Amino acid sequence: MTFGIACCAIEMMGTGMARFDISRYGSEVFRPSPRQSDLMIVAGTVNKKLAPVLLTLYEQMPSPKWVIALGNCAISGGPFKVKENYNIIEGVDKLISVDVYVPGCPPRPEGLLEGILKLQEKITGVRHPLPQNRHPGSPLRKVKGLKPK
Amino acid sequence: MAQTTKIFKEDILFHEFNTTETDYNQRGYHLEVALEVNQVRKFAQKAYDHGFYPVFVTGFHVLPEQTEDGTTSGLKVVYQFARHDRLYRIKGQVSVPEDMSIPSICDIYEGANWHERETRDLYGVNFDGHPNLKPLLLSDEDQDFHPLLKEEEKLKSLEAVSWSAEAPDSAEADKKDASE
Amino acid sequence: MLESDFQERNRFFLNMGPQHPSTHGVLLIVLEMSGEYVLDPQPVLGFIHRMHEKMAESRPCQSFMPNTARMDYVCALPYNHGYVSLIERKAGIEVPRRAEYIRVITSELNRIASHLLWLGAYLLDLGAFTPILYGFDDREHILDILEDITGSRLTYCYYRFGGVSRDIDDKFVDATRAFIKRLRKRFVIYEKLVTKNIIFIKRAENIGIVSPDMAIRYGITGPNLRGSGIAYDVRKNEPYSVYPEFDFEIPVGEQGDCLDRYMVRVREMEQSLRIIEQALDRLPEGPVRGKVPKNIKLSPGDCNFAVEAARGELSYYLVGDGTGVPYRLKIRVPSYSNLSCLPELGRGILLPDLVSILGSFDLVIPEMDR
Repeated sequence: MTFGIACCAIEMMGTGMARFDISRYGSEVFRPSPRQSDLMIVAGTVNKKLAPVLLTLYEQMPSPKWVIALGNCAISGGPFKVKENYNIIEGVDKLISVDVYVPGCPPRPEGLLEGILKLQEKITGVRHPLPQNRHPGSPLRKVKGLKPK
Repeated sequence: MAQTTKIFKEDILFHEFNTTETDYNQRGYHLEVALEVNQVRKFAQKAYDHGFYPVFVTGFHVLPEQTEDGTTSGLKVVYQFARHDRLYRIKGQVSVPEDMSIPSICDIYEGANWHERETRDLYGVNFDGHPNLKPLLLSDEDQDFHPLLKEEEKLKSLEAVSWSAEAPDSAEADKKDASE
Repeated sequence: MLESDFQERNRFFLNMGPQHPSTHGVLLIVLEMSGEYVLDPQPVLGFIHRMHEKMAESRPCQSFMPNTARMDYVCALPYNHGYVSLIERKAGIEVPRRAEYIRVITSELNRIASHLLWLGAYLLDLGAFTPILYGFDDREHILDILEDITGSRLTYCYYRFGGVSRDIDDKFVDATRAFIKRLRKRFVIYEKLVTKNIIFIKRAENIGIVSPDMAIRYGITGPNLRGSGIAYDVRKNEPYSVYPEFDFEIPVGEQGDCLDRYMVRVREMEQSLRIIEQALDRLPEGPVRGKVPKNIKLSPGDCNFAVEAARGELSYYLVGDGTGVPYRLKIRVPSYSNLSCLPELGRGILLPDLVSILGSFDLVIPEMDR
């Protein structure tokens, strides 16, 4: 689910577009509804006014769910973490648990792709767990490191 | 590169207010109007009748000062209007009195509705006659928190932040003294 | 319209946002609906309020540059332009001509990139998936050209007081000329795919008509104003930088509906290409940074500077107090005034038409909330 809040949302859109195609890695479908998604990409600065919205969306997602914090604002407040801060939540991990942090202001689309691959590695233990053009039931489908059940 | 800004006397359409012509190349606007609290609505009505559009309504915070009506609150509200058909920007400035309320211009200019709400959020100025003064930028529970009010040690007086004839870059011979 | 008792019986409230699939940002619109008709749309802002104006009051004016880019990240260079020009006007800093030309070329490239993104996003809201792919493809070319000299893809901080930070080289000039040729051919594709498409025309014609009087009362500027027939563009009315030296037109619409606003933006892209070509032909030699004092002091008094951002008139208003830290910086953003007319415009329309109006206004929410 895309929670595109600010500048990083444009880089997230750019990752989904033709040049840095995200559907190569199996993540093409961006579902705006939390009920149908299992990954939330928080892209942008979270506010005191926006924090309850974020928590509602996170709780509406069914388990198992993962979170990627995209950009410096979602990691730690970014350029807005200043002394006179009265409004910004300094880092989304103060509200929910985050699995992968992608730094940058904004990070390049390659950074987001690397973040998704790192998440796939975190879940399955193997980078590129999905062979790119093999049918799931095919006997030719062998992936190094994944033990057959 | 710089726009010629000779304004002829017929152009100044706000004769009944306390106006000062300013140097556009130095300040970015042509006319500066010092308003009283009861002149705000007349000023806005005059601007609307002559076809100006509202650029913004905002405020800033200086030290409170003593006037003959009592102490002001230290807040100033600034209005800026401009025109579509020719280059003519005007700025109106009014001192907010101690009860922190000035009349609203929402029924003349609906665009000022959101600007006034924002000024109330950030500074706490109350606009009489505004239909809906709920917080716009801050959340509902932060209604009484006015972030842009300065702390005591950072406040300066109005003279310290206004143009004066002794400033080194003001070299115009016929520029009037512009401190209100 | 509707019968009044039907209206009374079937009212409900619908929350549009703050997370919704169109990419405008975090905007909540509370819609009072009756069936498919919207009775009263009320926007709620503040979900991305990042206190830029407060940050400007507590740091030296040089350190505020990154903030200017993050307000409107899609078209960040005009924001940079307005801020550095404001400080140059206040402190009396001269800018060399080559730097002014580079500023104009990069700002116009950024304006084209912003309009391409708008075109894709607007049509995505209406349900068409192909134009956004084409738009982003063209936009990536611009981003590559600008990345070579500025170093960033999105939030540029390229201008400095007195000029720009790096000079452009022949590679930039050749790449830009090749891009101009390419984009002119691509406009034919957009023309056939979108502008002449009957589905798009039906969804955009006669929808969301903004009258000139409404535009004056709300302070609407930019392509939204030009779609209603008023030819006001800060580059022509209040020229800054070297814009008076270029020959370009201001496209104007007639009626003020969504289709007019669309046509104004498409024709503005062509005019921007004209400006860039003229600027590249006449690019002077010289330094790219003027003389700037080591510590910039902002003399007491206030100052205003207006530029034409992609969405309308952007004004910076500064109150200085003699030090290098601004006493008050007010940023007047175009989308703020553009959206404030939604309660009046959206009364009694169908919900899909509201989506079309929001898309044609070209809003970027973080610039509204600052």
